[in-house]
Amino acid sequence: SSIHCGTMFRAVFRLSATGARSLARSRPCYSAPLASRCYSHAKVETDEEFDARWVTYFSKPDIDAWELRKGVNTLIGYDLVPEPKILDSALRACRRLNDLASAIRILEAVKNKAGPHKDIYPYVIQELKPTLTELGISTPEELGIDKL
Amino acid sequence: MAHHSHPYHMVDPSPWPLTGAIAALLMTSGLAVWFHFHSTSLMLLGTILLTLTVIQWWRDIVREGTFQGHHTPPVQKGLRYGMILFITSEVLFFLGFFWAFYHSSLAPTPELGGNWPPAGITPLDPFEVPLLNTAVLLASGVTVTWAHHAIMEGKRKQAIHALALTILLGAYFTFLQAMEYNEAPFTIADGVYGCTFFVATGFHGLHVLIGSTFLAICLARQISHHFTSEHHFGFEAAAWYWHFVDVVWLFLYISIYWWGS
Repeated sequence: SSIHCGTMFRAVFRLSATGARSLARSRPCYSAPLASRCYSHAKVETDEEFDARWVTYFSKPDIDAWELRKGVNTLIGYDLVPEPKILDSALRACRRLNDLASAIRILEAVKNKAGPHKDIYPYVIQELKPTLTELGISTPEELGIDKL
Repeated sequence: MAHHSHPYHMVDPSPWPLTGAIAALLMTSGLAVWFHFHSTSLMLLGTILLTLTVIQWWRDIVREGTFQGHHTPPVQKGLRYGMILFITSEVLFFLGFFWAFYHSSLAPTPELGGNWPPAGITPLDPFEVPLLNTAVLLASGVTVTWAHHAIMEGKRKQAIHALALTILLGAYFTFLQAMEYNEAPFTIADGVYGCTFFVATGFHGLHVLIGSTFLAICLARQISHHFTSEHHFGFEAAAWYWHFVDVVWLFLYISIYWWGS
Protein backbone atom coordinates (compact mmCIF):
# COMPACT_ATOMS: atom_id res chain seq x y z
CA SER A 1 0.00 0.00 0.00
CA SER A 2 2.97 2.32 0.55
CA ILE A 3 3.96 1.95 -3.08
CA HIS A 4 0.42 2.84 -4.04
CA CYS A 5 0.72 5.98 -1.90
CA GLY A 6 3.95 6.97 -3.57
CA THR A 7 2.45 6.76 -7.01
CA MET A 8 -0.55 8.76 -5.83
CA PHE A 9 1.66 11.45 -4.36
CA ARG A 10 3.82 11.53 -7.48
CA ALA A 11 0.70 12.04 -9.50
CA VAL A 12 -0.36 14.87 -7.19
CA PHE A 13 3.07 16.45 -7.41
CA ARG A 14 2.86 16.35 -11.17
CA LEU A 15 -0.48 18.09 -10.85
CA SER A 16 0.89 20.85 -8.65
CA ALA A 17 3.97 21.27 -10.85
CA THR A 18 1.75 22.10 -13.81
CA GLY A 19 0.29 24.99 -11.81
CA ALA A 20 -2.66 23.71 -9.76
CA ARG A 21 -1.30 25.64 -6.72
CA SER A 22 -4.60 25.90 -4.89
CA LEU A 23 -5.03 22.16 -5.17
CA ALA A 24 -1.57 21.59 -3.70
CA ARG A 25 -2.35 23.79 -0.71
CA SER A 26 -5.80 22.44 0.02
CA ARG A 27 -5.44 18.73 -0.71
CA PRO A 28 -5.89 16.56 2.38
CA CYS A 29 -2.77 14.48 2.80
CA TYR A 30 -3.81 10.98 3.73
CA SER A 31 -3.51 7.50 2.30
CA ALA A 32 -6.39 5.04 2.36
CA PRO A 33 -5.18 1.91 4.20
CA LEU A 34 -6.41 -1.08 2.34
CA ALA A 35 -4.98 -4.04 4.25
CA SER A 36 -4.39 -2.83 7.84
CA ARG A 37 -6.85 -3.40 10.67
CA CYS A 38 -7.14 -1.48 13.92
CA TYR A 39 -6.77 -4.41 16.33
CA SER A 40 -5.68 -3.78 19.87
CA HIS A 41 -2.28 -5.04 20.87
CA ALA A 42 -3.68 -7.37 23.53
CA LYS A 43 -2.50 -10.93 23.24
CA VAL A 44 -5.21 -13.20 21.83
CA GLU A 45 -5.59 -16.60 23.48
CA THR A 46 -5.89 -19.57 21.14
CA ASP A 47 -8.61 -22.16 21.66
CA GLU A 48 -5.98 -24.66 22.81
CA GLU A 49 -4.63 -22.21 25.37
CA PHE A 50 -8.16 -21.50 26.63
CA ASP A 51 -8.90 -25.22 27.03
CA ALA A 52 -5.56 -25.88 28.72
CA ARG A 53 -6.11 -23.02 31.16
CA TRP A 54 -9.47 -24.36 32.24
CA VAL A 55 -8.28 -27.96 32.48
CA THR A 56 -5.50 -26.70 34.74
CA TYR A 57 -7.98 -24.68 36.83
CA PHE A 58 -10.12 -27.72 37.64
CA SER A 59 -7.08 -30.01 38.06
CA LYS A 60 -5.90 -28.17 41.18
CA PRO A 61 -5.57 -31.04 43.69
CA ASP A 62 -6.83 -28.99 46.65
CA ILE A 63 -9.47 -27.00 44.77
CA ASP A 64 -12.20 -26.01 47.20
CA ALA A 65 -15.95 -26.12 46.75
CA TRP A 66 -16.23 -22.38 46.22
CA GLU A 67 -13.55 -22.35 43.53
CA LEU A 68 -15.23 -25.26 41.76
CA ARG A 69 -18.60 -23.52 41.68
CA LYS A 70 -17.05 -20.18 40.71
CA GLY A 71 -15.09 -21.81 37.91
CA VAL A 72 -18.11 -23.61 36.53
CA ASN A 73 -20.25 -20.47 36.70
CA THR A 74 -17.61 -18.41 34.90
CA LEU A 75 -17.08 -21.11 32.26
CA ILE A 76 -20.80 -21.46 31.64
CA GLY A 77 -21.05 -17.68 31.28
CA TYR A 78 -18.89 -17.75 28.14
CA ASP A 79 -20.41 -17.90 24.68
CA LEU A 80 -19.29 -21.47 24.00
CA VAL A 81 -19.88 -25.09 24.94
CA PRO A 82 -16.86 -26.28 26.95
CA GLU A 83 -14.71 -29.00 25.43
CA PRO A 84 -15.15 -32.51 26.88
CA LYS A 85 -11.58 -32.34 28.26
CA ILE A 86 -12.47 -29.32 30.38
CA LEU A 87 -15.67 -30.96 31.57
CA ASP A 88 -13.73 -34.11 32.40
CA SER A 89 -11.41 -32.09 34.61
CA ALA A 90 -14.38 -30.37 36.27
CA LEU A 91 -16.15 -33.69 36.92
CA ARG A 92 -13.00 -35.09 38.54
CA ALA A 93 -12.90 -31.99 40.75
CA CYS A 94 -16.51 -32.74 41.75
CA ARG A 95 -15.41 -36.28 42.65
CA ARG A 96 -12.57 -34.98 44.84
CA LEU A 97 -15.07 -32.71 46.58
CA ASN A 98 -17.77 -35.39 46.91
CA ASP A 99 -20.16 -33.09 45.03
CA LEU A 100 -22.37 -35.33 42.90
CA ALA A 101 -25.05 -32.64 42.65
CA SER A 102 -22.70 -30.21 40.91
CA ALA A 103 -21.45 -32.97 38.59
CA ILE A 104 -24.95 -33.67 37.31
CA ARG A 105 -25.71 -29.93 37.20
CA ILE A 106 -22.68 -29.41 34.95
CA LEU A 107 -24.15 -31.88 32.46
CA GLU A 108 -27.49 -30.00 32.55
CA ALA A 109 -25.63 -26.74 31.96
CA VAL A 110 -23.80 -28.20 28.93
CA LYS A 111 -27.11 -29.19 27.37
CA ASN A 112 -28.42 -25.71 28.03
CA LYS A 113 -25.35 -24.04 26.51
CA ALA A 114 -25.74 -26.01 23.29
CA GLY A 115 -29.03 -24.22 22.76
CA PRO A 116 -30.65 -25.12 19.44
CA HIS A 117 -27.70 -27.33 18.38
CA LYS A 118 -29.22 -30.59 19.52
CA ASP A 119 -26.29 -32.75 18.35
CA ILE A 120 -23.69 -31.23 20.67
CA TYR A 121 -24.95 -32.62 23.99
CA PRO A 122 -25.16 -36.28 22.90
CA TYR A 123 -21.64 -35.94 21.46
CA VAL A 124 -20.27 -34.54 24.73
CA ILE A 125 -21.96 -37.31 26.75
CA GLN A 126 -20.52 -39.87 24.38
CA GLU A 127 -17.03 -38.45 24.85
CA LEU A 128 -17.44 -38.34 28.61
CA LYS A 129 -19.01 -41.83 28.94
CA PRO A 130 -15.82 -43.53 30.22
CA THR A 131 -15.36 -40.84 32.86
CA LEU A 132 -19.01 -40.86 33.87
CA THR A 133 -18.85 -44.64 34.31
CA GLU A 134 -15.55 -44.46 36.20
CA LEU A 135 -16.80 -41.79 38.60
CA GLY A 136 -20.31 -43.20 38.91
CA ILE A 137 -22.07 -40.08 37.61
CA SER A 138 -25.54 -40.57 36.16
CA THR A 139 -26.79 -38.28 33.43
CA PRO A 140 -29.97 -36.24 34.03
CA GLU A 141 -31.67 -38.42 31.40
CA GLU A 142 -30.77 -41.64 33.25
CA LEU A 143 -32.21 -40.12 36.44
CA GLY A 144 -35.35 -38.94 34.66
CA ILE A 145 -34.82 -35.36 35.77
CA ASP A 146 -34.35 -33.94 32.28
CA LYS A 147 -38.10 -33.55 31.90
CA LEU A 148 -39.75 -30.79 33.93
CA MET B 1 -14.90 27.26 83.46
CA ALA B 2 -11.21 26.28 83.90
CA HIS B 3 -8.49 28.46 82.51
CA HIS B 4 -5.70 26.63 80.76
CA SER B 5 -2.88 27.65 78.44
CA HIS B 6 -3.71 25.14 75.73
CA PRO B 7 -6.52 25.06 73.14
CA TYR B 8 -7.71 21.56 73.97
CA HIS B 9 -10.95 20.60 75.64
CA MET B 10 -10.72 19.08 79.11
CA VAL B 11 -14.21 17.61 79.24
CA ASP B 12 -16.13 17.79 82.53
CA PRO B 13 -16.89 14.44 84.18
CA SER B 14 -19.89 12.90 82.47
CA PRO B 15 -22.12 9.91 83.29
CA TRP B 16 -23.07 9.27 79.69
CA PRO B 17 -20.20 6.94 78.68
CA LEU B 18 -21.16 4.72 81.64
CA THR B 19 -24.89 4.77 80.87
CA GLY B 20 -24.04 4.10 77.22
CA ALA B 21 -21.95 1.08 78.16
CA ILE B 22 -24.71 -0.19 80.44
CA ALA B 23 -27.23 0.33 77.65
CA ALA B 24 -25.03 -1.69 75.26
CA LEU B 25 -24.81 -4.49 77.83
CA LEU B 26 -28.58 -4.52 78.43
CA MET B 27 -29.36 -4.45 74.72
CA THR B 28 -27.07 -7.34 73.86
CA SER B 29 -27.94 -9.54 76.81
CA GLY B 30 -31.56 -8.50 76.26
CA LEU B 31 -31.23 -9.85 72.73
CA ALA B 32 -30.06 -13.18 74.12
CA VAL B 33 -32.91 -13.18 76.66
CA TRP B 34 -35.36 -12.54 73.83
CA PHE B 35 -34.00 -15.49 71.86
CA HIS B 36 -34.14 -17.93 74.76
CA PHE B 37 -36.91 -16.72 77.05
CA HIS B 38 -39.20 -14.83 74.63
CA SER B 39 -39.15 -11.62 76.70
CA THR B 40 -38.18 -8.27 75.19
CA SER B 41 -38.18 -6.31 78.44
CA LEU B 42 -34.42 -6.24 79.01
CA MET B 43 -33.69 -5.29 75.42
CA LEU B 44 -36.36 -2.56 75.55
CA LEU B 45 -34.85 -1.19 78.75
CA GLY B 46 -31.44 -1.15 77.08
CA THR B 47 -32.82 0.67 74.06
CA ILE B 48 -34.53 3.32 76.20
CA LEU B 49 -31.32 3.82 78.17
CA LEU B 50 -29.37 4.12 74.90
CA THR B 51 -31.77 6.72 73.56
CA LEU B 52 -31.55 8.77 76.76
CA THR B 53 -27.75 8.48 76.76
CA VAL B 54 -27.44 9.56 73.17
CA ILE B 55 -29.76 12.55 73.57
CA GLN B 56 -28.04 13.84 76.66
CA TRP B 57 -24.49 13.18 75.55
CA TRP B 58 -24.87 14.97 72.25
CA ARG B 59 -26.91 17.72 73.90
CA ASP B 60 -23.91 18.26 76.19
CA ILE B 61 -21.55 18.37 73.20
CA VAL B 62 -23.74 21.02 71.56
CA ARG B 63 -23.68 23.01 74.80
CA GLU B 64 -19.90 22.67 75.12
CA GLY B 65 -19.30 23.73 71.52
CA THR B 66 -21.98 26.24 70.63
CA PHE B 67 -22.52 27.92 73.99
CA GLN B 68 -19.33 27.42 75.97
CA GLY B 69 -16.81 27.87 73.14
CA HIS B 70 -14.79 24.75 73.80
CA HIS B 71 -14.61 23.77 70.13
CA THR B 72 -11.44 25.60 69.18
CA PRO B 73 -9.80 24.77 65.83
CA PRO B 74 -7.67 21.93 67.23
CA VAL B 75 -10.70 20.50 68.99
CA GLN B 76 -12.70 20.71 65.79
CA LYS B 77 -9.86 18.99 63.96
CA GLY B 78 -10.09 16.14 66.45
CA LEU B 79 -13.84 15.92 65.89
CA ARG B 80 -13.23 15.75 62.14
CA TYR B 81 -10.76 12.90 62.55
CA GLY B 82 -13.24 11.18 64.82
CA MET B 83 -16.08 11.39 62.31
CA ILE B 84 -13.84 10.21 59.47
CA LEU B 85 -12.65 7.24 61.49
CA PHE B 86 -16.19 6.38 62.51
CA ILE B 87 -17.44 6.48 58.92
CA THR B 88 -14.45 4.34 57.91
CA SER B 89 -15.46 1.75 60.49
CA GLU B 90 -18.99 1.81 59.03
CA VAL B 91 -17.57 1.26 55.55
CA LEU B 92 -15.82 -1.84 56.88
CA PHE B 93 -19.06 -2.93 58.52
CA PHE B 94 -20.84 -2.87 55.17
CA LEU B 95 -17.85 -4.45 53.46
CA GLY B 96 -18.60 -7.58 55.45
CA PHE B 97 -22.11 -7.83 54.07
CA PHE B 98 -20.90 -7.22 50.55
CA TRP B 99 -18.35 -10.00 51.10
CA ALA B 100 -21.14 -12.32 52.16
CA PHE B 101 -23.20 -11.36 49.12
CA TYR B 102 -20.40 -11.88 46.61
CA HIS B 103 -19.26 -15.11 48.26
CA SER B 104 -22.73 -16.54 47.81
CA SER B 105 -23.54 -15.07 44.41
CA LEU B 106 -20.27 -15.62 42.52
CA ALA B 107 -20.32 -19.33 43.34
CA PRO B 108 -23.97 -20.33 43.87
CA THR B 109 -24.31 -23.75 45.49
CA PRO B 110 -26.14 -26.74 43.98
CA GLU B 111 -28.93 -26.15 46.51
CA LEU B 112 -29.67 -22.92 44.67
CA GLY B 113 -29.50 -24.71 41.34
CA GLY B 114 -26.01 -23.37 40.73
CA ASN B 115 -27.72 -20.15 39.67
CA TRP B 116 -27.87 -16.58 40.85
CA PRO B 117 -30.58 -15.45 41.42
CA PRO B 118 -31.34 -18.86 42.92
CA ALA B 119 -33.98 -21.05 41.35
CA GLY B 120 -37.40 -19.96 42.57
CA ILE B 121 -36.42 -16.39 43.43
CA THR B 122 -37.97 -13.53 41.44
CA PRO B 123 -35.74 -10.55 42.11
CA LEU B 124 -37.09 -7.00 42.09
CA ASP B 125 -36.84 -5.18 38.76
CA PRO B 126 -33.84 -2.88 39.19
CA PHE B 127 -35.33 -0.33 36.82
CA GLU B 128 -38.50 0.18 38.81
CA VAL B 129 -38.60 1.51 42.42
CA PRO B 130 -34.91 0.75 43.10
CA LEU B 131 -33.93 3.13 40.29
CA LEU B 132 -36.27 5.79 41.67
CA ASN B 133 -34.67 5.28 45.08
CA THR B 134 -31.27 5.84 43.51
CA ALA B 135 -32.46 9.10 41.96
CA VAL B 136 -33.98 10.21 45.28
CA LEU B 137 -30.77 9.66 47.22
CA LEU B 138 -28.60 11.27 44.55
CA ALA B 139 -30.93 14.28 44.60
CA SER B 140 -30.67 14.43 48.38
CA GLY B 141 -26.90 14.54 47.99
CA VAL B 142 -27.33 17.61 45.83
CA THR B 143 -29.71 19.32 48.26
CA VAL B 144 -27.43 18.70 51.25
CA THR B 145 -24.53 20.26 49.33
CA TRP B 146 -26.80 23.17 48.47
CA ALA B 147 -27.62 23.54 52.17
CA HIS B 148 -23.92 23.54 53.00
CA HIS B 149 -23.17 26.31 50.55
CA ALA B 150 -26.13 28.29 51.86
CA ILE B 151 -24.77 28.00 55.42
CA MET B 152 -21.31 29.06 54.30
CA GLU B 153 -22.77 32.06 52.50
CA GLY B 154 -24.85 33.06 55.48
CA LYS B 155 -28.12 32.46 53.64
CA ARG B 156 -30.20 31.30 56.56
CA LYS B 157 -33.59 30.79 54.89
CA GLN B 158 -32.09 28.97 51.91
CA ALA B 159 -30.10 26.68 54.20
CA ILE B 160 -33.25 25.81 56.10
CA HIS B 161 -35.13 25.06 52.89
CA ALA B 162 -32.36 22.96 51.38
CA LEU B 163 -31.84 20.99 54.59
CA ALA B 164 -35.59 20.41 54.95
CA LEU B 165 -35.74 19.20 51.34
CA THR B 166 -32.87 16.80 52.02
CA ILE B 167 -34.72 15.32 54.98
CA LEU B 168 -37.90 15.09 52.91
CA LEU B 169 -36.08 13.17 50.19
CA GLY B 170 -34.62 10.88 52.84
CA ALA B 171 -38.12 10.25 54.18
CA TYR B 172 -39.39 9.57 50.66
CA PHE B 173 -36.62 6.97 50.21
CA THR B 174 -37.58 5.35 53.49
CA PHE B 175 -41.25 5.30 52.50
CA LEU B 176 -40.51 3.78 49.08
CA GLN B 177 -38.20 1.19 50.57
CA ALA B 178 -40.81 0.27 53.18
CA MET B 179 -43.32 -0.29 50.37
CA GLU B 180 -40.79 -2.46 48.54
CA TYR B 181 -40.12 -4.51 51.68
CA ASN B 182 -43.85 -5.02 52.11
CA GLU B 183 -44.46 -6.12 48.53
CA ALA B 184 -41.29 -8.09 47.81
CA PRO B 185 -42.04 -11.64 46.63
CA PHE B 186 -39.25 -13.04 48.85
CA THR B 187 -38.45 -12.73 52.55
CA ILE B 188 -35.33 -12.73 54.72
CA ALA B 189 -35.93 -16.44 55.29
CA ASP B 190 -35.70 -17.28 51.60
CA GLY B 191 -32.26 -18.82 51.56
CA VAL B 192 -29.02 -16.95 51.18
CA TYR B 193 -30.58 -14.62 48.61
CA GLY B 194 -33.20 -13.33 51.01
CA CYS B 195 -30.67 -13.21 53.81
CA THR B 196 -28.02 -11.19 51.99
CA PHE B 197 -30.64 -8.93 50.43
CA PHE B 198 -32.50 -7.97 53.59
CA VAL B 199 -29.52 -7.82 55.95
CA ALA B 200 -27.54 -5.56 53.59
CA THR B 201 -30.45 -3.32 52.55
CA GLY B 202 -31.88 -3.47 56.07
CA PHE B 203 -28.73 -2.14 57.70
CA HIS B 204 -28.59 0.46 54.96
CA GLY B 205 -32.14 1.50 55.80
CA LEU B 206 -31.19 1.77 59.45
CA HIS B 207 -28.36 4.07 58.46
CA VAL B 208 -30.75 6.17 56.39
CA LEU B 209 -32.89 6.59 59.50
CA ILE B 210 -29.85 7.51 61.58
CA GLY B 211 -28.64 9.94 58.92
CA SER B 212 -32.06 11.51 58.57
CA THR B 213 -32.23 11.98 62.33
CA PHE B 214 -28.79 13.57 62.34
CA LEU B 215 -29.88 15.96 59.57
CA ALA B 216 -33.10 16.76 61.44
CA ILE B 217 -31.07 17.73 64.52
CA CYS B 218 -28.98 19.95 62.24
CA LEU B 219 -32.15 21.55 60.89
CA ALA B 220 -33.32 22.32 64.42
CA ARG B 221 -29.91 23.75 65.25
CA GLN B 222 -29.79 25.84 62.09
CA ILE B 223 -33.21 27.27 62.93
CA SER B 224 -31.92 27.99 66.42
CA HIS B 225 -28.96 29.95 65.01
CA HIS B 226 -26.33 27.48 66.27
CA PHE B 227 -24.33 27.46 63.03
CA THR B 228 -22.14 30.28 61.72
CA SER B 229 -20.87 30.60 58.20
CA GLU B 230 -17.38 29.67 59.42
CA HIS B 231 -18.17 27.08 62.07
CA HIS B 232 -20.78 24.40 61.54
CA PHE B 233 -18.98 21.12 61.96
CA GLY B 234 -22.06 19.29 63.25
CA PHE B 235 -23.70 19.95 59.90
CA GLU B 236 -20.60 18.89 57.97
CA ALA B 237 -20.46 15.65 59.93
CA ALA B 238 -24.13 15.01 59.12
CA ALA B 239 -23.51 15.78 55.46
CA TRP B 240 -20.51 13.40 55.33
CA TYR B 241 -22.61 10.69 56.93
CA TRP B 242 -25.41 11.32 54.46
CA HIS B 243 -23.04 11.07 51.47
CA PHE B 244 -21.70 7.82 52.93
CA VAL B 245 -25.26 6.47 53.12
CA ASP B 246 -25.79 7.49 49.49
CA VAL B 247 -22.58 5.78 48.34
CA VAL B 248 -23.48 2.57 50.18
CA TRP B 249 -26.82 2.61 48.37
CA LEU B 250 -25.06 3.01 45.01
CA PHE B 251 -22.95 -0.06 45.75
CA LEU B 252 -26.03 -1.95 46.93
CA TYR B 253 -27.94 -0.97 43.82
CA ILE B 254 -25.16 -1.94 41.41
CA SER B 255 -24.26 -5.20 43.19
CA ILE B 256 -27.44 -6.63 44.65
CA TYR B 257 -30.25 -5.05 42.68
CA TRP B 258 -28.69 -4.82 39.24
CA TRP B 259 -25.84 -7.36 38.87
CA GLY B 260 -27.54 -9.76 41.26
CA SER B 261 -30.70 -9.96 39.18
